[in-house]
Amino acid sequence: MVNKESKVVRQLFMSLSIVLAGVGLIWGTILTSRGGEWIKTGFQFFTEAGSGLTLTWKLDGLTVFFLFILLLGQGFSSLYAIGYLKEYEEKKKSLWPFYTNWFLFLGSMFGVLLADDGFSFLLTWEMMSLFSFFLVLYEHEQPQNRKSAYIYLVMTHVGTVFLTTATLFLYAKTGSFAFEAWAVAAPTLTAIQLNLVFLAFFIGLGTKAGFVPFHIWLPYAHSASPSPVSSLMSGVMVKVALYLFLRLVWLTLGTGPVWWGWLFLLVGALSATVGILSASVQSDLKKLLAFSTIENVGILGMALGSAFLARSWNHYIAMDLALLAFFWHTLQHMLFKSLLFMGAGNIIQVTHTRNMERLGGLLKRMPKTGFAALIGIIGITALPPLGGFWGELMLFQSLWANTAHLANGWSKVFLPLFIGVLALVGGLSMATFVKWFGISFLGQARSQVAERAKEVHPVQYIAPLLVSGLAVLTVLWPSATLALIDLPLSVLRIGEGVGIASTLGKPLNLSSIYLILLILLTVIVVFLSNRGVRRVTATWNCGGPLTPRMQYTAGGLTNPIRVLFTKVLGSHRHVEGDFAGTKYTLRSLRYEGKIKEVFEDILYRPVIHGVLWVASKILKLQAGSIQLYLGYLLVTVVVVLILGR
Amino acid sequence: MDELSMILTRLLLGIGHLAIIIVVAPLLQGFIKKSKAFWQMRQGPPLLQPYRDLRKLMQKEELVSEHASWVFLLAPRIALAATLMAGLVIPTAWGWAPLSGWGDLFLFGASLGLVRLFMTLSGLEGAGTFGGMGSSRELFLGLLTEPALVLGLIVLAFMTDTTSLQGITIGLQSISPLYIPRILVLIALGMVSIAEMGRIPIDNPDTHLELTMIHEGMLIEYSGPSLALLNFAEQVKQLLLLVLLAQIIWPSGLISSSDGLLGMFWALGFAGVKVVVLGFFFATVESLFVKRRLFRAPHFLATSTACAILALISLWIIRGQI
Repeated sequence: MVNKESKVVRQLFMSLSIVLAGVGLIWGTILTSRGGEWIKTGFQFFTEAGSGLTLTWKLDGLTVFFLFILLLGQGFSSLYAIGYLKEYEEKKKSLWPFYTNWFLFLGSMFGVLLADDGFSFLLTWEMMSLFSFFLVLYEHEQPQNRKSAYIYLVMTHVGTVFLTTATLFLYAKTGSFAFEAWAVAAPTLTAIQLNLVFLAFFIGLGTKAGFVPFHIWLPYAHSASPSPVSSLMSGVMVKVALYLFLRLVWLTLGTGPVWWGWLFLLVGALSATVGILSASVQSDLKKLLAFSTIENVGILGMALGSAFLARSWNHYIAMDLALLAFFWHTLQHMLFKSLLFMGAGNIIQVTHTRNMERLGGLLKRMPKTGFAALIGIIGITALPPLGGFWGELMLFQSLWANTAHLANGWSKVFLPLFIGVLALVGGLSMATFVKWFGISFLGQARSQVAERAKEVHPVQYIAPLLVSGLAVLTVLWPSATLALIDLPLSVLRIGEGVGIASTLGKPLNLSSIYLILLILLTVIVVFLSNRGVRRVTATWNCGGPLTPRMQYTAGGLTNPIRVLFTKVLGSHRHVEGDFAGTKYTLRSLRYEGKIKEVFEDILYRPVIHGVLWVASKILKLQAGSIQLYLGYLLVTVVVVLILGR
Repeated sequence: MDELSMILTRLLLGIGHLAIIIVVAPLLQGFIKKSKAFWQMRQGPPLLQPYRDLRKLMQKEELVSEHASWVFLLAPRIALAATLMAGLVIPTAWGWAPLSGWGDLFLFGASLGLVRLFMTLSGLEGAGTFGGMGSSRELFLGLLTEPALVLGLIVLAFMTDTTSLQGITIGLQSISPLYIPRILVLIALGMVSIAEMGRIPIDNPDTHLELTMIHEGMLIEYSGPSLALLNFAEQVKQLLLLVLLAQIIWPSGLISSSDGLLGMFWALGFAGVKVVVLGFFFATVESLFVKRRLFRAPHFLATSTACAILALISLWIIRGQI
């Protein structure tokens, strides 16, 4: 069925992508482990003499860390794509648009990370948006995907407007696009100018990162795109936006007033809570993951906030801890989110449904995908022994150290509350991912498609298994990861820091000790309890026959959360029973439940309506009568004559 | 060589630490049952009944649902192992914990979180309604208890300037037991413990009426050795929470180099008395109250969270820092 030639092309292109990533990773490891002077700056490319326009690029520790993230994501997603793309071939859908945009998207992310001046940054940033837009649009046959891609395009351009404004403003002030020139000029700006530039960057970059309330595109775009692309967008692209916060705000605008840190913390906490709450009530496999990306971006935003606060309070241990948490979590989230998107992709490919209410019992039918997914949910819910937890531990500790360090003030009350928020988010994310995994993989199949499910092509489960292996390795051998994190830390620190080893002290190896001990204890318990006879029987059901519909549904499992947070979620429920005249015999029951998109309704609808209203008023100018148009011409000529007098 | 002997000592002490927890946990359960029977004017099962129950279950045949996968059998084992991991950060009678360092107070809650994750997953394994109901409720309660637990412990950490439970226990020795923030934290953590132990008014450990149970709902498909492990894990968790509370109320008898063997036994006995008193207290609370509806649980746990926040505010006010 599959065309031989297109199969070769597919394997060739995706292997090329993997090889490029592999070469990059090896080269990067050799380069950075060699020590000495490897940082490259002022690398110029394309210089237009006379116009003052140069594209400059720079490779430093901060860039290298995110390049590692990008290359890892690229390698795993490409490996996964080898298997995943086969489906499109079987459907006779041309893959050329995919390949082209795949490489251009990866290349433009590379560009954003390397850019060292405003112009090349904006150029590569726009390319990144555009090519990812094309990738989201790849399955354009379905109308809802076109809508998703459109929302993404609009939102990303709203963000770019702010970025362009800030860039042009700084260019006007300094006469240069170079980040270094901006950093020099930043202290000379007035407070209002500095804050406005910061806010423009915050909104512009926050839109791409998925901060609430600029997040509305994210659930659409990340769920509409093919799974390898989702894993790349969720795992890498949002991190690129966060990288720019460090590059443009931390390194360029400087410390800034204290409220910058608070803004990051507040928006981060809001994103984390809103993201995970919305995720917990979803029953769409990929939309749930997309909302969870918002949550994790929120946690990363909180880490940035803690770092900014610590920097303005000159508390360098808390700052180091917050940055450590930030980079650690960036890596871990990339691993686990791409893993989970691959798992979701496998399920969708096998069952052709994203609705969890139709899944169930997949662990028996897809054991390898299921195993990888189980590792993924332990990691993403920030539970020990995996990496997600250790990042949050550092963030907790940083918030704690920040509070303890403060001499006095109400900040000492507000800061610890964020620890409470993080704990709440942790509990919610457990509910979310128990639902994601439990409803789809455990229990009984809820539909025919789930019952007929078979394990996917080996490549498609090898990729997530490799990711989970790497995730375990980062915990087992934390010093390697910390050595990688040390690269950006040394760029971001002011002067000499205390160093990771002394900041972390003994807990440096706690993660591996914990993992080893837990496994050891589990093995002992398994060994000791392995006795007696086991018999497979039916599930106890009060003596009646058990049907798949008796299981808890995806909606039912998190219903208490929906009820408790009705106001925040804007959930709506309507039950209508037909009792056929009496009170006791139910003839039919109609149930309707809906979750409103609160932010869309409150913030975006009025703006959209406003724009449409203005447009409808302007439309009257264009009445279609030739006399009126001639009249416009006359008026224009008169005005021009008066002005040009 | 010196380092090796130090590691070996630590290892031996750690194993001893776990051994005490493992041996004592069912006894505490027996004692609490006995105390409840006392208030109900019953004789009650003998103190050693939990040990007998565990032994009996270990020897029984195990029934596994036809819909269950390997997670069903893995869950009880991981649950017990993770509960014991939580035990490694709790300082015992001598105020010493095998795993200690900054941030280990978060490790306690997170290890219990791992237990919860596997328990709730296993509830969904049987494909029946009761397991799912238990999971759904447990997840709901979990997200409410976690902030209260973490905030409560955090206030103690601020009080003693360390985020290690071992350090907190040592630090609390020099703080008056009637210090207001400390009392507020104690109320907060006591309420959390009730929820975490699955006791009235949040959950009823004795009920097997399907519609009211939470923790038992998740266990409904289990039998034989797996059920024994789960029950045992629950008993260990109960002991850990009570030890933690006891150490917060009155940390004393902590280890010091000058004490001999007698001092160690004295400390152990003293800690035992504290835990027994607390166990009797919770049994009394359970006899005095009724189980509340599930949607009343948020109020209960919100009170607990509020106590923790009040403790934080009062701490800073007393110290004159706000």
